[in-house]
Amino acid sequence: MADTTYTFPIGPVHPALKEPTMFKFVMDGEVVVDVDVQPGINHRGIEFIGMRRNVLQTLHLAERICGICSIVHQYAFTLATERAAQVFEVPERAQYIRIIMAELERLHSHLLWAGVAAHELGFDTLLHLSWKIREDVQDVLEIISGNRVNYAMYYPGGVRRDIPPEKIPRIKKVLDHYKENFQMLADTFLGDPVIKHRTVGVGTLSKKDAIATSTVGPTTRASGVMKDVRFDQPYDAYADIDIKPVIPSNYGFEDAGDVYANIVVRLIEVAQSIEIIEYALDNMPSGPYRAEMNVNKVLMMLRKADGEGFGIHEAPRGEMCHYVRLKENQDNLDAWKVRASTYNNILAWQKKLIGQQIADVSIVAASIDPCIGCMDRVAVVDSRTGKEKIMTDVDFHRLSVEKTKRLRK
Amino acid sequence: MNEEIIKLGFALIYGIATILAVIFLGLLYKGIDRKLAARFQSRVGPPIRQPFRDVSKLFMKETITPENSVSWIFHSMPLIAFATALLIILYLPIGPFAPILGEYGDLILIVYLLAIPSLAIAVGGFSSGSPVATIGAQREMVLMMSYEFPLAIVVLSLAWLANINATGNAFALGTFTANPVWEMVGIVGAMGLVLLLASIFVVLTSELSKLPFDIPEAETELAGGVFAEYSGRDMAMFYLADAVKSFAMVTLVVALFFPYNLSPWIISQFGVELPAIMGIPIAAYVIDLLFFLFKVFIIMFFAVTFVRVSLARLKIDKASYIYLVPTTIIAIMGMVFIYMGSAL
Amino acid sequence: MKVMNGDEFASYIKDRFGNNVLSMRVDKFKNGVKKSEFHSVWLRVDRSVFKDVMRAITEIHDEAHIAVASGSDLGEEIEIIYHLNLFWGERNRQLTVNLGVRCPKDDPHLPTISDLIPGALITEREKQEFLGITIDGIPDPRRLFLAENTPEGFYPWRKDEDQQEKLKKLYRDVHEEGV
Repeated sequence: MADTTYTFPIGPVHPALKEPTMFKFVMDGEVVVDVDVQPGINHRGIEFIGMRRNVLQTLHLAERICGICSIVHQYAFTLATERAAQVFEVPERAQYIRIIMAELERLHSHLLWAGVAAHELGFDTLLHLSWKIREDVQDVLEIISGNRVNYAMYYPGGVRRDIPPEKIPRIKKVLDHYKENFQMLADTFLGDPVIKHRTVGVGTLSKKDAIATSTVGPTTRASGVMKDVRFDQPYDAYADIDIKPVIPSNYGFEDAGDVYANIVVRLIEVAQSIEIIEYALDNMPSGPYRAEMNVNKVLMMLRKADGEGFGIHEAPRGEMCHYVRLKENQDNLDAWKVRASTYNNILAWQKKLIGQQIADVSIVAASIDPCIGCMDRVAVVDSRTGKEKIMTDVDFHRLSVEKTKRLRK
Repeated sequence: MNEEIIKLGFALIYGIATILAVIFLGLLYKGIDRKLAARFQSRVGPPIRQPFRDVSKLFMKETITPENSVSWIFHSMPLIAFATALLIILYLPIGPFAPILGEYGDLILIVYLLAIPSLAIAVGGFSSGSPVATIGAQREMVLMMSYEFPLAIVVLSLAWLANINATGNAFALGTFTANPVWEMVGIVGAMGLVLLLASIFVVLTSELSKLPFDIPEAETELAGGVFAEYSGRDMAMFYLADAVKSFAMVTLVVALFFPYNLSPWIISQFGVELPAIMGIPIAAYVIDLLFFLFKVFIIMFFAVTFVRVSLARLKIDKASYIYLVPTTIIAIMGMVFIYMGSAL
Repeated sequence: MKVMNGDEFASYIKDRFGNNVLSMRVDKFKNGVKKSEFHSVWLRVDRSVFKDVMRAITEIHDEAHIAVASGSDLGEEIEIIYHLNLFWGERNRQLTVNLGVRCPKDDPHLPTISDLIPGALITEREKQEFLGITIDGIPDPRRLFLAENTPEGFYPWRKDEDQQEKLKKLYRDVHEEGV
């Protein structure tokens, strides 16, 4: 065995990876014998920056941790801040607007993932179909918030913008359009023989492993584990809605934890999200959408607050946590810890990848819907010289100027 | 003596003109294929002249030799692939024009020549010394060994059919042009021919390294696989070789199965005399050439564009299985039907 | 598995570990129109009983979910808070337990909990490299996010006085060596 194995690197930059990370595979022929995941290439030192800014500045910084799942960080951060300060009474209308935004984001994130998964399988037509459908939800997000990404909706004590009644018919129109198209998408993903052949039994994660390694989100639900923060610990308006975690066996599929089960879970969650949004739009109570409208007052309240809070939100990729500690008479955060969903799924990655063929590596790696930007946040590391350095933008600018000069010669 | 030289010079000019025309057509068809695939996927897609731009851009780019590579093999393989692809063209009838080297080679030679570009790609992959390219090259070899068998069965069945039904060398392509295969068989034999056509369509996709059989390149798995280390001129050569080989392969299918020309039918149907200059029937040539290009387009569309937008990439074990078992069985069944058809 | 709410859990731990529980708080949050409630327990325990408390928690729920361990530098001490989710799998039953433990900077050692909850490995590796504590008995002590050749003794989350000096030294290396 040992004689025939060789190492095969994927990363730091590779077409199969949408963001930089590093896999080192020990291969025997086309089969993976061992794998080591080495994250950390995308570090930007976000927590370090956040601890040097006040809460409202950090709120917007949190949103920029990741482009795809931008508001989930903002949501979890807002929850953590509110729980730490314990002075905000979030209005009911705001709670509903919050979950509408969170579910719209889940819609777009799952559709984006569906496209990426199809691309990893080499099925570009399906990629373009999924992303074409995804455009509609982007439009809705733009109608509500003015932006396609980074919606800037959450705020300690409520939300920044209301959803006025005249916008609701437009949102509902898109939801109806989704309901019509959903079946086509589901049939293509779940019925296509080649996709079945590429995904059934590939990258399995047993229920026991999924529980032991504390996996989160669709990755763990595909293995049949009933973990969903919206259900286990309903927060905000989720407390009013009867949500059941999507588990393949409830819909006539197998809880195999393979790529196919992941597709099933995410597709059914798309349908579930549509239902939640419709319910929330219909039952949204009237009233204010923010507890305190004056920004300076909010800042003063946060300055006076003293305590710690832990906010959990069920992001499209799974449980997302922020830990925040506020100190009295201190503007900046005393401590901040971001934990993205992908962070808890690294161990599952290793379990899923061992024993796979090299052809399956990319789809298995994609099956947990990795978000490297979320996972790697902390150190400021550069590996260009082989020695790790801490770089600033000044340094990068200087190096870039030097390189230009060198090339001119 | 003088006549010999004139004939040779004419052949030379004719050959060069054919090669240039085929390179142009190969790239044009590539552009059309990309545009159509994009329309299928509701994209705008690149302009049809994009492949020409790609090639000219690649020629301008730096050609990098990887550190671990065997340099001379690494750089010679693209040339070999391109040269053989061009050579195949000279053995194939392009529409109304007879093959230039038709007298010097036959069907068996073409089948061998078709294997060489793939081999050159595999050898180039092995010599580039990158693990990605090595895996890609291994896959290329596996795939080649798998699809050569059904391809050989198809070619042999047709040759055998020609041997008993037609006069002349059964392995020469000219025989097939003169006697279309469909006219040699009855209903049972025609069913056999359809099966052979089906299996050669499956082989075609893989021979051209298109989805779902682009396993050696597999962008999302191997980052370009065998071509991972190629750049600049070398990559341009492979690109051109691919374009020319696609055209050649489809031309072969046309020559074997659909060698019909349009002009005789027009003449007999409408009773018109097509104009000719200096004894050369220019108008008939133009009509036949356009008809031929149309046939190539139709086959290209159904065998390449249509298939590649509607399927996902297969794994190498499954792809190999598809060739070794179902496709081979279909080809053998086709052969049996033809045998039965001519025995009855 | 014996399902408890926040108050029951807090009193159970308090009874069992007595004075080794340094502080305790139960947060209750009301949500939605129906004002349904969930609990969150904040515990600070002494380092000597930390592993026992963790074991007691896994005895209460053997499939405890570790969300993350957050850590911070308090000056003389380093504090690690383990955020655990218990009793998941039933609607509105989950209890968040935030178990804090402190260790002095001159003896930064904590026992591993990855034998009780294997999923804690990733976060333990991160705490090691970013806060400069040592997790005793960790199965995979390598660095996670920081590259292997980051200089020893530089821990990004420490708020030591000489931290700025260390940062500057790293910058200087870049300036001297160039790229």
